Amino acid sequence: MSLEQTINDWTKIRQRHPLPGSHPDLKWAMAIDLDACTGCNACVVACYAENNLPVVGKEKFAAGQAMHWIRIERYWNEGDEVTPHQGAQFLPMLCQQCEAAPCETVCPVGATNHTPDGLNSQVYNRCIGSRYCSANCPYKVRYFNWYSYPDQEKAWPEPLPMQLNPDLTVRTKGVMEKCTFCVQRLMDARNTARNEGRGVRDGEVLTACAQACPTSAITFGNLSDPHSMVAQKWRLQRVELDKDRQLKDIDGSHPGLRGYRIFEDLRPYPSIMYLERVRDNQA
Amino acid sequence: MTTKRLLGLFNDFDQASAALRELRDANLPYLDWNDVTIKSPIEHPDVEDVLGVRSIPIRNYTLVGALLGGSLGFLGLATSQGNFFSQLKGGKPIIPLPPDFVLTYEMLILGGVYITVLGFLICAGLPHRVKSDLYDVKVSEDQVGVMVKANAHCITEVRKIFESHKVLSIQEEVVR
Amino acid sequence: MNTVTQAKEKDIREDIAWAQINRDVLASLAQPRGTYWAIFAMAFGMFLVGVGCEAYQYEKGLGVSAMNNPDVWGLYIATFIFWIGMSHSGTLLSAILHIIHADWRKPIYRFAEAMTTFSLMTAGLFVAVHLGRVWQIYYALPYPNERWAWPNFQSPLLWDAMAIFTYLSSSILFLYVGAIPDFAICRDNATGWRKTFYEKLSLGWMGTDRQWRNFRVAYLVIACFLIPLAVSVHSIVASDFAMSQQPGWHITSFPPYFVAGALYSGCAAIITLFIMLRYTFRFEEYMTMPILDKTARLTFAIAMVWTYLNLIEYSSVWYGSDQVAKETLIQRATGPYAFYWWSMNFLGSVVPFTLIFKKLRANLTAMMIVSLLLNLGMWLERWMIVTPTFSHGYYPWTWDHTFFPSWVQWGIVFGSFGWFGMLFMLFCKLVPSVSMYEVKEMVFHRKLAKVHVREA
Repeated sequence: MSLEQTINDWTKIRQRHPLPGSHPDLKWAMAIDLDACTGCNACVVACYAENNLPVVGKEKFAAGQAMHWIRIERYWNEGDEVTPHQGAQFLPMLCQQCEAAPCETVCPVGATNHTPDGLNSQVYNRCIGSRYCSANCPYKVRYFNWYSYPDQEKAWPEPLPMQLNPDLTVRTKGVMEKCTFCVQRLMDARNTARNEGRGVRDGEVLTACAQACPTSAITFGNLSDPHSMVAQKWRLQRVELDKDRQLKDIDGSHPGLRGYRIFEDLRPYPSIMYLERVRDNQA
Repeated sequence: MTTKRLLGLFNDFDQASAALRELRDANLPYLDWNDVTIKSPIEHPDVEDVLGVRSIPIRNYTLVGALLGGSLGFLGLATSQGNFFSQLKGGKPIIPLPPDFVLTYEMLILGGVYITVLGFLICAGLPHRVKSDLYDVKVSEDQVGVMVKANAHCITEVRKIFESHKVLSIQEEVVR
Repeated sequence: MNTVTQAKEKDIREDIAWAQINRDVLASLAQPRGTYWAIFAMAFGMFLVGVGCEAYQYEKGLGVSAMNNPDVWGLYIATFIFWIGMSHSGTLLSAILHIIHADWRKPIYRFAEAMTTFSLMTAGLFVAVHLGRVWQIYYALPYPNERWAWPNFQSPLLWDAMAIFTYLSSSILFLYVGAIPDFAICRDNATGWRKTFYEKLSLGWMGTDRQWRNFRVAYLVIACFLIPLAVSVHSIVASDFAMSQQPGWHITSFPPYFVAGALYSGCAAIITLFIMLRYTFRFEEYMTMPILDKTARLTFAIAMVWTYLNLIEYSSVWYGSDQVAKETLIQRATGPYAFYWWSMNFLGSVVPFTLIFKKLRANLTAMMIVSLLLNLGMWLERWMIVTPTFSHGYYPWTWDHTFFPSWVQWGIVFGSFGWFGMLFMLFCKLVPSVSMYEVKEMVFHRKLAKVHVREA
């Protein structure tokens, strides 16, 4: 721990991120097929169950203080709003685990960082609740604990505490939280794999939302493993992690490509690729 | 030989500086010019010129303070970022230069100001017990005082010079 | 022969006796009467309202402030910036005008500098109120701990913390050091507990040439440091917004825009306090109408700078290709906050034109009202920077939400003015609000100048 070490590591600590080859072994990523998504909200319920999310109630939900780490957004074409129960397009939005996350730089105490396996971490016990990370997030996928749900708001009246997941904490008021790609499952899978002296196999660990989706719209896996489903999907769509403009958008020469990342031009390098809905008329 | 101190109070700066000029020209023996002090309600660089050039060491304190603050700022940041909180944030390098520049700048100013104030207190000789020196409350109001330390022989000469310039009051005390 | 005609009123009479200056200012430090206690009680009452609201919020959680996702910053951040902005007035008067030898600042800079210090203390309160877990605010400080966790120096909020700490401590030191000769005067004229109090504060100042020499240099040096510090502090506060990428915030001209707004806000507050102090302590000889006139003209100049930067921001957004920024601007002008946005533009850009009229500048009631309106405009400006971006940011799912603060937020903002009032009132009775030695210098130099004119 010294000036000497700083000088030795100078090249490494002056590099920006992501660069090609930033994650040689393990990079968690997702692909969400919007054509397969039916808007059933099973992923949302699974996330609530897996991650000890409090149900805030009708009043607080209307006030915009809900805690859904994954949310299904509904969009209509112009003219279709008259029949809201038909024709909506569904977009599951969750933390994009950006490689160059705008939330990471602005936390005053460093409660959010980028892990070596490509996740954007949120450290609950370090968070002092300044909410700058949420202000800077372009997707607004960060959720703040506006109230103390476990004790004061009684979000889990007896016997519901029996249903809580013991692998992660229940957050108190004043702390920011967001989707972690079910990091408790990932840690468990990595530990098991390490104990057995191997890498994590594709499909061995799934996030709660990917597991619950009835149409398999959500694909989750290791992007650095060239044989994983998610890496194959990314490759098929010619989407690369460390580029800020993909082949699909550069010119119209590849009309069959459906893969895109949201707000790519802001250059947060998100880890979730969305597959565009196949339209039933010429777009 | 007893050393005495004399404080003469004058109505304004003109009379005080005239008295000082005469005192300087009189060139009295056993009177160290460095012991001559002016006590005034406001500063007056012209009268101080009569006293001669005296050093203002405070500027050195400022320089040292600013450099100390700036280097502590940068080293404190860079080493801490490189060594013990070296996690990637937002795709930026682990030791990013713009934030380090901003904080080094602030710490430079912090160091400069604190050490200047410290330097001021040291150079001005504060805090100082008023009771251990000749002083009159009129100095803080509107009268200018000239204080001279000399031995008993010269004191009568000094008194004469003061009285010839319309001194309002004289205090005398024996030093040691 | 030149006969100096009495056409213009002077900043100060050259023939004021120095003993008179002492007497007049020391009279303001006398034992306060009933009115003082009544007003102090009012300020305390306001403060208690704020404390009550904060206690409720602390207990229940920040949700009671009606903030939500995505509207995560509300009046707390807006008012925080407002108070930091107001603090720039003292530096402007003390430091900038000192360096350019504008001596008309001498009777008024003391209370302006005090205003700086107390504004910064009030702004500090808002940091605490705004945080979700205030009890762990010390995480933002670089202290050694066994987790090897230091704050994130990349965050503009942390730059804020360091810059404001530097600014607050430097301001207090500047105010204190500049007041040492005045404390000596108070010590020489006081009795009882006050004498001991001023004895301690004046550090045995005797006005020797050695002390004055070093004082002069120290004051100038700190003033030279304080000017870039003040500019950088508010630029850093502006970076909280400019360094993000949200539309309506990611604007290069934000740092100078905020600094201009700060100087504007501070000058208007100086006018308000000037009129109040002049009336309360009968400082008509020192806080003269020509000085008010000059301050008003300075306010107008800064108002025009602010207006320019404001309009430049709108024009560059309107003229550019950044679609989202343009939509955010349109939403500010036509959306749910339109009334407040247009009020801000009116109060900030149109109302200062009243300062052109000499008759209005000479009317104390009008100036009081105008200065309060200008500050209201500046407070609205801060709010209009913070909230509308949340209501129309990048993400369509967040649109169509209208966010207005709850009574808790308003209560705490209200309470902060009470806190500031309390501090300022305590200051008025403990520290001479007009700098006696500097006024003596002003009178002395003007007398000399007049003599030279007559001799010429």
